[in-house]
Amino acid sequence: MTVAASATAPLVVALLVLVVAVAVLTALFRDVLAAVVVFAAYSLGLAILWVVYRAPDVALTEAAVGAGVTTSLFLVAIRRTVRPTGERTLSLRVRPRSVLAAGLVGALLLSTVPALPAVGDPTAPAFGPVPEFYLTDAPERGIANAVTAVLVVYRGFDTFGEVVVVFAAAVAVLVATHREVL
Amino acid sequence: MRPYTDSVVVTKTVRAVVPFVLTFGLFTLLHGTSSVGGGFQGGVVLGAAVVTLAFGFGLDRTWEVLDKGLLTGLAVSGVVVFGAVAFAGLALGGSFLRLDAFPVPKSTVYATELVEVGIGFTVAGVVVVLFFELAGGTDGEGERGGNRGGERR
Repeated sequence: MTVAASATAPLVVALLVLVVAVAVLTALFRDVLAAVVVFAAYSLGLAILWVVYRAPDVALTEAAVGAGVTTSLFLVAIRRTVRPTGERTLSLRVRPRSVLAAGLVGALLLSTVPALPAVGDPTAPAFGPVPEFYLTDAPERGIANAVTAVLVVYRGFDTFGEVVVVFAAAVAVLVATHREVL
Repeated sequence: MRPYTDSVVVTKTVRAVVPFVLTFGLFTLLHGTSSVGGGFQGGVVLGAAVVTLAFGFGLDRTWEVLDKGLLTGLAVSGVVVFGAVAFAGLALGGSFLRLDAFPVPKSTVYATELVEVGIGFTVAGVVVVLFFELAGGTDGEGERGGNRGGERR
């Protein structure tokens, strides 16, 4: 584990630098199209990071939803906007209040990090009896992918609700655009 | 509005990539129990493939080709299938959402895959609907005005 961790450490550092850099760029770009493209790069960097952290299911969703679908939704949304002329595409001028607000929220979120159990802590809830049951019971039922087993078999109520929420999103958009029939 | 199809590179790339994306999406959707993926991931990839088509061939052309009834059916199917499987568990003497109550071998696996396919169809349908509704949306005067219900095939 430590060998694998040290082998991927430069990659993780590079990806984290990339993610933070494109996140800052997204805020700095005055041109909305450029901001959308950079934001897609942010999602792509995160997706690769999830793969490195062995969460391929999350990576697949991040790449498809974050980098793919969200970007295309933004693109069709900015079709309705007008591109400002004569303004610089990248501006380093930011309002101090915005920086302050972002910094405060960031500090607030970071202050919760020490409350998390340490990496590999055997007393962490992630190593309790319930995940142990999931990991032994799912293969016995013939489901090799534990993520799918948790989503559908053990947490079926949540997932049922999720599907209804996804469906409701389409209904909500149709209602908002005053078109009950496709 | 500038047409989307003014670049040969985009059209050719979309033409080449979309079959592979669709295949990958279906694979992800159908192999959720045995490998990475599942309904949500596969469905999003399938929906994204249709969105890619819109970028290659234009919003209006892609929207005209799409079967609106099928799209509605896809969007509904996940809720219906999940609900049916959930209540079937109840009807077969188990409880709500009891997936191993079906009188078939490997009941949990097949019930899960059925649910996954339903989820995937809903997600794919909803992604496509969201995209085209936001694109066509509320501009009453534009080229894709409010009476799109009338141009159904």
